Amino acid sequence: MSFLTLILKNLFRQPVRTGLTVLGISIGITTVVALGVVTNSLKASAGELIKLGGSDFMAAQQGAADLSFSIVKEEDVRALGNEPDVERAEGILFHIARVGSNPFFFLGGRDAAAVQANPPNLIDGGIWGPGATNEIILGHRAADDQDLGVGDTIHIENIDFHVVGIYKTGVLYEDGGGYAPLPVVQGIARKTGVVTAAFITVKEGVDPEVVARRIEDDYPDLATITDVSEYGKVDQGVQMLEAANLAISILAVGIGAIGVMNTMVMSVFERTREIGVLRAVGWSGRRILRMIISESLILCMVAAFVGSALGVLATRAILLIDTISNLLEPRYEADIFIRALVVGVVVALAGAAYPAWRAARLVPMEALRYE
Amino acid sequence: MSERPVVQMREVVKTYEDGRVRALDGASLTIDAGEFVAVIGPSGCGKSTLLHLVAALDRPDAGTVIVNGEDLATERDLNKHRASEIGLVFQLDNLLPTLSASENVQVPMFETGLSARERREKAMRLLGMVGLTDRARNRPAELSGGERQRVAIARALANDPGILLMDEPTGRLDQATGKRVLDLVDALNKERGLTIVLVTHDNTVAGRAQRTIRMLDGRVVDGDSPGDGRVSTPHPAAATGAG
Repeated sequence: MSFLTLILKNLFRQPVRTGLTVLGISIGITTVVALGVVTNSLKASAGELIKLGGSDFMAAQQGAADLSFSIVKEEDVRALGNEPDVERAEGILFHIARVGSNPFFFLGGRDAAAVQANPPNLIDGGIWGPGATNEIILGHRAADDQDLGVGDTIHIENIDFHVVGIYKTGVLYEDGGGYAPLPVVQGIARKTGVVTAAFITVKEGVDPEVVARRIEDDYPDLATITDVSEYGKVDQGVQMLEAANLAISILAVGIGAIGVMNTMVMSVFERTREIGVLRAVGWSGRRILRMIISESLILCMVAAFVGSALGVLATRAILLIDTISNLLEPRYEADIFIRALVVGVVVALAGAAYPAWRAARLVPMEALRYE
Repeated sequence: MSERPVVQMREVVKTYEDGRVRALDGASLTIDAGEFVAVIGPSGCGKSTLLHLVAALDRPDAGTVIVNGEDLATERDLNKHRASEIGLVFQLDNLLPTLSASENVQVPMFETGLSARERREKAMRLLGMVGLTDRARNRPAELSGGERQRVAIARALANDPGILLMDEPTGRLDQATGKRVLDLVDALNKERGLTIVLVTHDNTVAGRAQRTIRMLDGRVVDGDSPGDGRVSTPHPAAATGAG
């Protein structure tokens, strides 16, 4: 019999209690994993967004609570295009519209010349020309969702757009939306003369970071985002999710630790006499401590695995909702599962600390007298 | 039989409940290696306390308890002493209910550094010695009282102790089963030279020992050293508590 076998037998002596404890901790870890997947997915989408059209970085309104609220004047975009070391600066206006059953259709307003110069990867049709008013190119996901092709019409906020092309970029927001002429989208959004952000491409051999820092110095109203870690400058949504994730992780640890402590204290109480026997046959307090903590660790590791699996299933389930699948592409990255394991280990150690300490300090004679 | 003393107690005092209960009150005795000694006396005379002090389950308040040359009153690592020097059998078998007979016997071996395979093989040898090879996979609930007590004896021998301490080992067994257990204890003493200290309030059980130590009111009143030889007549006071 190995030490592990002994520990497993101890855990299986009360299978219902062990199972319920695992379930309780798993639910906390499921929440941590699911929220982690959502946060990472949003961060990944944000990372794609800041380099739209193959640009090096994005410039948006400093301090905007949400990127969709950002306002950048077209004249500023033109000035940015004339900055030394800047190859190209394009202003794009984002507008979220309801299209069919999708309330989060991404409608981008782009200048015709800019689209002609730097088109998305077209898989069908073409691009609208200068002076176009009701023409649109659709991402392939949006086209599939709406069952539309080149030559069809799509109705967006009282305007019937003629679909002239279908593109595929691999960027979730782009592929799930479409691009229309900038003045038309400005009209729909009632944002004449402004865009949401400027997407800047630097000249070859120039460090985008240096240009971005210089733009921030020269344009106090603008914030530049070269990496997703800076996204919080113009959008607090991801930061809020990260904060919520941390808070839920702490709550999961707290609630889980109390559950584990309850289980382990009960277990130690019930086994007081047995622990006395173990001490009487020569087991050291340290070995008793190791036994109780190992039981707790195994309990929580199982919960971490079950919780992680449930978290993955939960995110797969919510993606069955079309609205969400257009906003999120789940990212099951290692850091989420490492966090789940860390939560499990912390819960195990915090929950087992007192009962293990108590068990290790039991005086053999007193434990043997325990009824 | 060797004449090397393995247990020496001198003027041992042990109190409980802040000194209100004086379980041992200056008890002294000597036990040589290879002896089979019975400790007898009425309930509350301190015989179990004496056994627990030799087993290093507790420390004396005063006096010395020397086992295999080590003073347990000052010895820091009593776990090591319990794990390697002493085998302990309780009145209740105190087997772990979720473990099989073989696994119960292996429990003390975790402190010895044996591999899982070595532990398993040794447990089977010990169960064979107590005649329970075919019950190795059974849990305590599936064993009779006598079988459970024999498993407890096998467990007590797991780490090859020199001294086997038994606290009323037949107290809850019927006469026939108790006799079989005592036959086994007798054989362990004669064939393996194991020193055996058996606490009982039963004169018949005590009669199986080579020497009887009588206790009364926390003191050893008779048979305290090997030279005293076998005492066959029960002490009047001890007889009052005899079962």
